[in-house]
Amino acid sequence: MVYQVKNLTKKFGENLVLDHINLEVKENEKIVIIGPSGGGKSTFLRCLNLLEKPTSGKVIYHNQELNEKTYKTIQGKIGMVFQNFQLFNNMTVIENITLAPILNKIMSKKEAYQKARTYLKQIHLEEKERTYPSDLSGGQRQRVAIIRTLMMEPEVILFDEPTSALDPEMIGEVLSLIMEVGKQNITMIVVTHELSFAYDFATRVLFMDQGKIVEDGDKEEIFKHPKTERLKQFLNNTK
Amino acid sequence: MSDLLDTFYKTFIYEERYLYFLQGLKYTLIIAFFSILLGVFLGIVISIIRDYHRQTKRLWLLNKIADIYVYIIRGTPTLLQLMILYYVVFRTSSLSPVIVGILTFGINSGAYVAEIFRAGYDGIDKGQREACKSLGLNYFKTMRYVIFPQAVANIFPALGNEMITLVKETSIAGYVGIVELIKAADIISSRTYDYFFPLIVSALVYLCLTFILSKIMKFGERKLNHGLSS
Repeated sequence: MVYQVKNLTKKFGENLVLDHINLEVKENEKIVIIGPSGGGKSTFLRCLNLLEKPTSGKVIYHNQELNEKTYKTIQGKIGMVFQNFQLFNNMTVIENITLAPILNKIMSKKEAYQKARTYLKQIHLEEKERTYPSDLSGGQRQRVAIIRTLMMEPEVILFDEPTSALDPEMIGEVLSLIMEVGKQNITMIVVTHELSFAYDFATRVLFMDQGKIVEDGDKEEIFKHPKTERLKQFLNNTK
Repeated sequence: MSDLLDTFYKTFIYEERYLYFLQGLKYTLIIAFFSILLGVFLGIVISIIRDYHRQTKRLWLLNKIADIYVYIIRGTPTLLQLMILYYVVFRTSSLSPVIVGILTFGINSGAYVAEIFRAGYDGIDKGQREACKSLGLNYFKTMRYVIFPQAVANIFPALGNEMITLVKETSIAGYVGIVELIKAADIISSRTYDYFFPLIVSALVYLCLTFILSKIMKFGERKLNHGLSS
């Protein structure tokens, strides 16, 4: 079991954002979380990476409760891809990609550069290795960010609305890279509004609303046979 | 015209009085240079202590001390700080006035530099720290490779202003008997009963110093901003 989430509750002040969430995530699952804005999707995802601390309840990762202490031992095994890419603007593409594996002594500088170049070739950005992020398009930046995460050889990758900040014509290139990464044995959890991508990609879909997981099932169940009124409404509205 | 020449002669040439100016310039430069170094060093250390505390809730005591330091320095006049250090703290020591001057201006500037750096760290998207965290980078690696370099590039103009302020502020060092530029001008005026040349020349020298300093900072800014345009 990769994750066991137990009674996870998160409040921002008086505002209840996550309401007693329970969930188990198995190895190599490809989970997509859908739902209306403000429903708690991103906050939930951020709790899985300790970017938010639970108000109460637990997030257990490989039989270990996540806290600042245990998180240190995980060192990059839970990767994260952000809506706004969060590439380091003071570094070139290849420096961005190789920084963490070199500093964490996962590989030598030479190995890191070799591996980075292989990845860059796969996403057809090998000529951009000395470019600064500010000179890349949004789609290119997000693909570099995904590669940066992969360099740490993660067991899990969390995607927080990875295409929401992109121009429409760039969404495709990012989604197809995520599909490609999905072929590997990595547990992936994606928060997105791209429902057709969700349908193609997911082995499991969660529908979240008002801080709760309202429906949890395979894509046929969620998209073809929604059980709750709320999900039906949501699917109708997004058509 | 001959009057003017006469005063000029008395101010600079007679009894080799230009040497006073050179000596004054020397001390102004020494004090300014070393107190800028000390100020930037202290400022960076203080700003990192406070930032580390904010991010990790550790180092409570050091953080408190840093807060008090900044509060006191910003809340009292520099001249008073200089006099307290010279007449009270180091009264019985044999420390040279120049060293006391460097310490005063360095410690003083450190508090302002710390605030400038803090604004710099705050200006970096917190997502950058989150990205570092999820890549397994600890606080110091995050600071060293990601936050600090971007912050420095952003705050360079403010840092330049602080240095220029510091150079000008060293002019109060004369109060504790250091013959820096203005004190030198003062000494000469008291002999010639003419204020025009000594003061105008002092002003021109300060203008040159701050002009050069601002050019250096502009140059550094351009270098640092490479690739940071977004």
